[in-house]
Amino acid sequence: MATGNELKCVTCGDTSLLTGGRKRIIFPCAGVANVGQISNAAALQLTDEGYGAATCIALLGTGDTGLKKRIADADEVVIIDGCPVTCGGKIAAAQGVNPAQHIIITELGFEKAYTRNFTEDDVETVVSAAWEGKGR
Amino acid sequence: MKIEVLGTGCMKCKRLLKNVETAVKELGIEAEIKKVDDITEIMDRGVMFTPALAIDGEMKISGRVADVEELKEILKG
Repeated sequence: MATGNELKCVTCGDTSLLTGGRKRIIFPCAGVANVGQISNAAALQLTDEGYGAATCIALLGTGDTGLKKRIADADEVVIIDGCPVTCGGKIAAAQGVNPAQHIIITELGFEKAYTRNFTEDDVETVVSAAWEGKGR
Repeated sequence: MKIEVLGTGCMKCKRLLKNVETAVKELGIEAEIKKVDDITEIMDRGVMFTPALAIDGEMKISGRVADVEELKEILKG
């Protein structure tokens, strides 16, 4: 799990505007069950790794016009849902947003539970799934 | 095929290395994967932004992490 204290290369940092690559917006469902919390942690780690920009799914639910413009300017939208209820996917659909990738964490072998316990390895599993395109 | 991942060891460099390993495995190709973490060598190679990826000495990516899909396309040539 990213802690914000990781070492950065002297030549590294946010170079996305200089070096190209796909512009992605990542929406975690951010639910209160373990898998929802993992979705949030994974989205933040993906942001730190330069995969895209984690954004609140609740803001999308409001129909915010500024966010709609950001989505229109992006190359891809990625939804990370914790469980088969797929709140994130449903919110996106209601706002007319079609994700290029939709990851459902319980489909990666996790069991939904109302606990705050999850590990760095749990987050890594979801982050790797996004980089590998398992939700395409 | 010789694949080099250049970077001094931050999370983006580690992720690019992992994505490269996954792409090579999924393609089932023979490749030597080398991590170049010496900053002097990285600079001498003309890399201004890390992480960077070189294949058989040719720089393919600099300053970002490529996903597995893109890496597979690059490796397939």
